[in-house]
Amino acid sequence: AGLELLSDQGYRVDGRRAGELRKIQARMGVFAQADGSAYIEQGNTKALAVVYGPHEIRGSRARALPDRALVNCQYSSATFSTGERKRRPHGDRKSCEMGLQLRQTFEAAILTQLHPRSQIDIYVQVLQADGGTYAACVNAATLAVLDAGIPMRDFVCACSAGFVDGTALADLSHVEEAAGGPQLALALLPASGQIALLEMDARLHEDHLEQVLEAAARASRDVHTVLDRVVRQHVQEASVLLGD
Amino acid sequence: AEAAGVPAESLAGCRARAARTVLDQVVLPGEELLLPDQEDGDGPGGAGERPLRLNAAARSRGRVVCGPGLRRCGDRLLVTKCGRLRHKEPGSGSGGGVYWVDSQQKRYVPVKGDHVIGIVTAKSGDIFKVDVGGSEPASLSYLAFEGATKRNRPNVQVGDLIYGQFVVANKDMEPEMVCIDSCGRANGMGVIGQDGLLFKVTLGLIRKLLAPDCEILQEVGKLYPLEIVFGMNGRIWVKAKTIQQTLILANILEACEHMTADQRKQIFSRLAES
Repeated sequence: AGLELLSDQGYRVDGRRAGELRKIQARMGVFAQADGSAYIEQGNTKALAVVYGPHEIRGSRARALPDRALVNCQYSSATFSTGERKRRPHGDRKSCEMGLQLRQTFEAAILTQLHPRSQIDIYVQVLQADGGTYAACVNAATLAVLDAGIPMRDFVCACSAGFVDGTALADLSHVEEAAGGPQLALALLPASGQIALLEMDARLHEDHLEQVLEAAARASRDVHTVLDRVVRQHVQEASVLLGD
Repeated sequence: AEAAGVPAESLAGCRARAARTVLDQVVLPGEELLLPDQEDGDGPGGAGERPLRLNAAARSRGRVVCGPGLRRCGDRLLVTKCGRLRHKEPGSGSGGGVYWVDSQQKRYVPVKGDHVIGIVTAKSGDIFKVDVGGSEPASLSYLAFEGATKRNRPNVQVGDLIYGQFVVANKDMEPEMVCIDSCGRANGMGVIGQDGLLFKVTLGLIRKLLAPDCEILQEVGKLYPLEIVFGMNGRIWVKAKTIQQTLILANILEACEHMTADQRKQIFSRLAES
């Protein structure tokens, strides 16, 4: 057999328990130029997100929506982000798909009807990919959207989950992803408990789905707790300087 | 994108806090707030008492206004931006008043009545297009200047700076500016003169500077004689006697945002000496 992903004692390859997250560190407002920006590290996965808007529709005006804002997401991963050097940072099929997923996620979270005929750009770049890139991108982009002050229905928090030997694992690392088991990505609106995006590429028995979904949802709430603290601290710092 | 509920996990009910208890604290999107006149109804046993409060509607049902960052969600307030929750009591009576979230942002969204600085980007027929930093350029009629008539057109060129006020600002319509007040007087508005320097700061800093008790502005005024214009869209135009003084003033105002009150005091005392 290959690598043992879950030991008899219940520890994973990197020493975590099944439902444990990797360490999350995040910062908001990392760029002066953009309307909103954020940087996040989830274990060794690192992502930067930048938000511009709501601004005028760029390119053809025909894309403008009469009743809501257009959310434009671009995902790219740096050429040095993966073990094997990538040729192109964006524009390949995987990046396009990821951009589309991010767009779906944020159209569910942002109150787009407040800014008709305008555009909101979300650019995400992965600097180091160590599993859970979708989750890191969503979390970084949420912080950036908050930093930009764009009205949102709710925070979005994302986390991945896998399934090994009858146990659901939360927040997969690259090693666990590469082992080829089923893998589920979930973006959750934690306050209302609604799902913004749910994706799974592999086959998993129906009976196990609920368990994995439950693990991903719990991990997303844990992510929310961490990000909540980051945002509160950021707002506190910013307003203290303005003399409150 | 579809949104579906996770079964038996909705925590929305127990997360709602009373708006009064979180005043001046940080609130985040997704939080729900209870208004004062619902608080007692939501306590234990509150549901049972409800039918007795027949005069609830008559009792101090003050008008509640949702400011920026808040929306109505059923009978509660839903927070949509991160920042500090503020409240202003209404002028008369108790209850109600205005609630809003004081957030730090850079992108401007036009609001009716705001005074802003815009840049003229185009002249087409009888209107000017003015860039105000929002999601759409504002329109400005050539008749909306003091003393302007069909014969006597104002002298406005592409690239000029305009200080004006929004009369129409609404998400579904093009924003419209004017440079006169309701009596037809300029009242300080109009084309901003030559020279000077325009720079951008965050919207929070502008609100801070325009607050009636702002000490930064008083200190700045003591340094050099200056002309200054604040636009609610985050733009500041400043002009002093020399270019050097103008640049110093601009740098101070830009840096103010990242300094504490003590640091500001130090900077101002150091500049006053030199």
